[in-house]
Amino acid sequence: MVDPANSTLGKMLLDEITPVVMVIRTSLVEEISQRNGLSFNELLSPFCVFNNIDVPVRTASDQPYRLRKFKLRLFNASDIRQPNIEVANERIRQVITRAGEKDFPDVSAETVPIETVLSTSTTKLLSSWFLFFNKELVRTVSFSEHEAFDHPVACLLAVSSKDDDPINKFVDLFNSDQLPPLFNDGAMDPNILKHFVLVHDNQDGTAERATKILAEMKATFGASNCRLLCINSSEDGSVQHLENPWASFKNDGSSDQQLGRFLSMDDMDELKNAMHDLSSKHIIPYMEQKVRVLNQQVSATRRGFRNQIKNLWWRKGKEDVPDNPNGPTYTFSSMESQIRVLGDYAFMLRDYELALSNYKLLSTDYKLDKAWKHLAGAQEMIGLTHFMLDLSSKDAEYWMEHAFATYSKLGSSGHRNATRCGLWWVEMLKATDQFKEAANVYFRISGEELLHSAVMLEQASYCYLFSSPPLLRKYGFHLVLSGDLYKKCDQIKHAIRTYRSALSVFRGTTWNHIKDHVHFHIGKWYAFLGMFDVAITHMLEILACGHQSKATQELFLRDFFQIVQKTGKTFEVLKLQLPVINISSLRVFFEDHRTYGSDTAVSVKESFWQSLEEDMIPSYSSMKTNWLDSHGKNLTQKYKDSSVCVAGEVIKVDVEFTNPLQIPISVSGVSLICEHSGRSDGTNSDSNSSTSKIELVKLGVDGNLNGDTSSFVLSEVDLLLSGGETILAQLTVVPKVEGTLEIVGVRWKLSGSVSGFCKFDPDLFKKKAAGGKRKSKKSLSNRMKFLVIKSVPKLEATMHHLPESLYAGNLRRLALELRNSSNTPVKNLKMKVSHPRFLSIGDQEVMKTEFPGCLERRGNFAQGHASAKTNKASDNVFLFPEDTVISGESPFLWPVYLRAAVPGNISLYTIIYYEVGDTSSVIRYRLLRMHYNVEVLPSLDVSFQISPRPSRLQEFLVRMDIINKTSSEKFQFHQLSSVGNEWEISLVQPMDTIFPSDFLVAGEALSCYFKLKSCRKRASPEGDVSCKVPLEKSNIRLGHDKSEELYDISRSPLVDFHHCERANQGISKQEHLTEVDFILISRSQSDGKAGLELLSHHACHCSVASSSPIWWLMESPKTIRHDFGLSFCEIKLKMTIHNASDSIASIHFKTFDSTANTNSSTAGASSVSAANEAGWHDTSLQNDIKLTSDAPGNRVAKPLSPVCVSPFIWSASSSTRVKLEPLSSIQIPLQICVFSPGTHDISNYTLHWDLDGPTESSGTCQGQSYYISVLQQD
Amino acid sequence: MQSQSRLPANPSRTGAKGFGSLIKWREKMIVCVAVVGHQNNPLYVQSFTDADDALKLHHIVHCSLDVVDERVNNPKKSGPTLNETFLGMLYPTENYKVYGYLTNTKVKFVLVTTDLDVRDADVRNFFRRFHAAYVDAVSNPFHVPGKKITSKTFAERVSNIVKSFGLSSAG
Repeated sequence: MVDPANSTLGKMLLDEITPVVMVIRTSLVEEISQRNGLSFNELLSPFCVFNNIDVPVRTASDQPYRLRKFKLRLFNASDIRQPNIEVANERIRQVITRAGEKDFPDVSAETVPIETVLSTSTTKLLSSWFLFFNKELVRTVSFSEHEAFDHPVACLLAVSSKDDDPINKFVDLFNSDQLPPLFNDGAMDPNILKHFVLVHDNQDGTAERATKILAEMKATFGASNCRLLCINSSEDGSVQHLENPWASFKNDGSSDQQLGRFLSMDDMDELKNAMHDLSSKHIIPYMEQKVRVLNQQVSATRRGFRNQIKNLWWRKGKEDVPDNPNGPTYTFSSMESQIRVLGDYAFMLRDYELALSNYKLLSTDYKLDKAWKHLAGAQEMIGLTHFMLDLSSKDAEYWMEHAFATYSKLGSSGHRNATRCGLWWVEMLKATDQFKEAANVYFRISGEELLHSAVMLEQASYCYLFSSPPLLRKYGFHLVLSGDLYKKCDQIKHAIRTYRSALSVFRGTTWNHIKDHVHFHIGKWYAFLGMFDVAITHMLEILACGHQSKATQELFLRDFFQIVQKTGKTFEVLKLQLPVINISSLRVFFEDHRTYGSDTAVSVKESFWQSLEEDMIPSYSSMKTNWLDSHGKNLTQKYKDSSVCVAGEVIKVDVEFTNPLQIPISVSGVSLICEHSGRSDGTNSDSNSSTSKIELVKLGVDGNLNGDTSSFVLSEVDLLLSGGETILAQLTVVPKVEGTLEIVGVRWKLSGSVSGFCKFDPDLFKKKAAGGKRKSKKSLSNRMKFLVIKSVPKLEATMHHLPESLYAGNLRRLALELRNSSNTPVKNLKMKVSHPRFLSIGDQEVMKTEFPGCLERRGNFAQGHASAKTNKASDNVFLFPEDTVISGESPFLWPVYLRAAVPGNISLYTIIYYEVGDTSSVIRYRLLRMHYNVEVLPSLDVSFQISPRPSRLQEFLVRMDIINKTSSEKFQFHQLSSVGNEWEISLVQPMDTIFPSDFLVAGEALSCYFKLKSCRKRASPEGDVSCKVPLEKSNIRLGHDKSEELYDISRSPLVDFHHCERANQGISKQEHLTEVDFILISRSQSDGKAGLELLSHHACHCSVASSSPIWWLMESPKTIRHDFGLSFCEIKLKMTIHNASDSIASIHFKTFDSTANTNSSTAGASSVSAANEAGWHDTSLQNDIKLTSDAPGNRVAKPLSPVCVSPFIWSASSSTRVKLEPLSSIQIPLQICVFSPGTHDISNYTLHWDLDGPTESSGTCQGQSYYISVLQQD
Repeated sequence: MQSQSRLPANPSRTGAKGFGSLIKWREKMIVCVAVVGHQNNPLYVQSFTDADDALKLHHIVHCSLDVVDERVNNPKKSGPTLNETFLGMLYPTENYKVYGYLTNTKVKFVLVTTDLDVRDADVRNFFRRFHAAYVDAVSNPFHVPGKKITSKTFAERVSNIVKSFGLSSAG
């Protein structure tokens, strides 16, 4: 712990608790001193402080000691009274206001981070005005009657040598009228030490008259008590004082040079000597003497056991006295006052031991008297002497706390004293580094007086800061509290200062409520002071206050815009938080050699396009050599660094704007900020990346001003964001001149008054790129930098007649229109589609013909489609004719067929490759990427079931099930075709009978049966298999109108689509010959549309039921009447076996008489019906849709009436082997013996076949059910 | 706790000046509960008063973190209280008492009450239930650790706990 005398409190006490000298002077004396710009008191004050007076002092003890530091306080007699509260408060207020002006933080200065605050020293932070303020506050309670150290020790009487009758003047001066009230109301002994000074102005003439008067004075008042003071020796009043001693005593800051200008060095010495003499020769000895006298008195009456008893008894007797709220009054002559004087004098003379013993004595007396104020004063002094004696700090604090409590108990009257006591207490705590406790005391001091409380709270906050460890949050809180009070007292500058300091605590935390409050108020207060710029910077911090309530958000925004309005200009703000820009949503679209037909095409993954383009674009190596040849290395290097775009073509940037508030905000004039530089300055672009904020703003404004004349054109977007909404804005820039273009940022205007700027910071991208998925691997800062090359032709394509939605199977012809707006021709066009199943490229000549009329079979059906195939390169790349050159305005049309193959949302991707005619261009070829979405609705559900006809070889029964799955569409069937020439197809029943309505309405189902006949025959002995079915037979008309032409399914779009369908519906594992492909062509008549839409449904790989190459057929009479009474019945059967394969088959026919047949009855109807139903399967469709057609052969389980009960036996050979040539038949005779009438199932045989030839295979076929009814002949 | 005894004991003088103390006095009332993350970031601050004093309560909770830090850095006791999660009274202001609780993951719970003679057992009980609710809330797989707790269920549960505060001892 430091020496108490050197601590802040010690210095304060040595400064404040010192002898008071009452000065009484005539007006002429004042006049003389005023010539120096100083009052008489001020003139003398600097010389009243003695750092080393070195006077021996002997008080109560016999041991003298030397006094080093000493000070006198001079007061005019008129000032020695309790200061007026209002005046004092006003003075304090002025002090604070002045400090507020002085300490007002620099606007431009950033608030310091809390770490720096912590490292700065205590003194730097604690502004000097705190000390001054505290001193002033202490002084408001001076000259109280309950303590003696403010009571004058001596009286200095000054009379000018010019005064008339100076001797009488001296007498007059000290008469009771002018004396302070302390003397008159008996609190002070009026008989005090008097010192008489005659002041002589040397400019008024020689000192002769003065010496004469002095002699007179000496005669009258005693030689030692008089003194002559000659001043103003300097003639011209130009004395300059290097270290002006008066500077610190003059508060109002008048120019230092003027002070004391008539005082020469001799005068100064005289003044110094005069005051030194006064102190050392008069005041100190007087005090010594008084202490000794009083001490003796006290010892005599109060010390010792006897005296104490007496005192106690005497005091008890006084208890009857009615309680005075201020306690009893003590006159100067009372014992208590005298002890107090003794204590205070001893304190002032640094005899703290003596002072302490007297104060303690006093405190017990006062306590007994219930003189609380006096008691508190005594307790206060006990605390201070404890401190000065460097005794235990606990005791000192204990007494201070008591004193504080006692003063506080007095209510409002004691409040000021309590404040003083508290301030001393605080200093005491600070001296022992108990900052936290000090802060608490400060908090307790703060009372009704708001301004004082504000200062106290601020001081408390600093205490929290200095405590170790620093309590930063409390520091912040108390600063905020204090700022709030400052604001209430209209000390706005202080309020701003404290809030700004508090910001350093809250910055970087997530306590947004508090942060917003602080920023908002700072902003408002700055605005109040008219400092709108700073106000706005603070207000900007709170704009994105999504966490606040709606009312608060409205308040914030309203105040913000009010401030902006007051400035009368639009503000330009970097990093405006409203609306929030989602940088991670930023997407840049531009076209180099890749161009896009639509926005949706842009959003498709680059890798997808690339995989699609693989076989279209020239290989990379060749491209590179070309580039190197034509342009050299520099350019390729440049390509790597930045993206390429073409002058005159649009660069689009998608930016997401989010409104974090609950209230709508309007954002207008959203546009990009771009920077364009000429072609040559490659180096310039490097420096651009570090565009400073100001430049950015400048750029933003420039772009706004000369958008048209500059080298690029920007688009502007206006948005209205409702609460919490996020809008994706597409901004564009069109470079017009070659060079480099960099997209620097985006700018917008909030509510028409605040311009916001946001830089697309490359760092932000990088951070995001690490985590997120990004299309390009290029560094993202380069994504915003473009090399603008001179304009090259660009193809634009439109797909005419493309519907948004259509029914599955719908076949349409579209027209692809290509346009090249520039005059430079493009050539070598290629085209590729992603889904050849949906899109097929036609021939140009069909553009002239009607559709679908051109499909109809008319006259010659020469295979025209063959020529179309020649244009097709591998993998669906379509090469336009060599001579195709597109340039100028004339559109280029090409037919394209669309067939909706499957239902669903289909994305069709189309790429057109073209080469630029102008070879000097950097870009040699370009790609047009198109993307279309087509919604395909389900229409007809067509399924085919094929089963062999048991009664015919190589013939099948085809069942076609159609369900209309649309909700409103009607369909008319036109034709059913089997693809290829191997199958003949015919209706079982005429269409009119099965389907009289001609239209299949929504939800309806239809089943109809066809006969299908294989026409594979051996045509030539070489083994060639050729089948030629007339086209009439492979197609059947389903429509009722017989005049309608059938469509040729071998014509271009139909056959192409059929190939795709075949490929798509899966390659069957079975051999080709067991499969049939059907095409059902139907037409739809929608209610709204006039024309008929053509639909084609392709069913491929419909498998004929038998999987074996062997077909066989039983033949016999179906019903036989026989009289079983005579004999058993012999039935001859004939089996025809056909080898449908291309190789020789050896067939082994085997019969067996098993009992399995007899079991057929026990197996019940289900097994029978299952056998009967062979080839038909339950399909789920038929479960929920009612079959309306009741065509014969409808699938109804036919109960077999007679059950086969009696067995039969094979009576001919049980095993037969035959060899069959390919595609030939053989007949085998068979015979059975039936023993009883009934219906018999002749299926208990097997056929085993082995195929020779290239694909050796074998298999076993179970016998087919074949029923023979044998009836009893009557 | 010794150092706290010096603080003003007379609630007649209005504290927290300048924020218009609008709290309606109610017996046994919790005015605010808060969850503060291990980086002293507010995760959940909920006041249970009708008055618009969110700011003040934020300040009080924020300030009490200083005391929490102090307690954690200078553990006065050891032994059985080593793993004690209940921090006791942090910050007696004139109108409120602030209690603290520190979980093992350095998440702080703060309770501000107007009940000036509340029983420690009640507060302990409150924090125990509050802790359970918090654990359930952050166990939600959709909760991002270190982010504000937005769960409605949690808010509901907390408000129930707050409502039942002190009821057990009332009888």
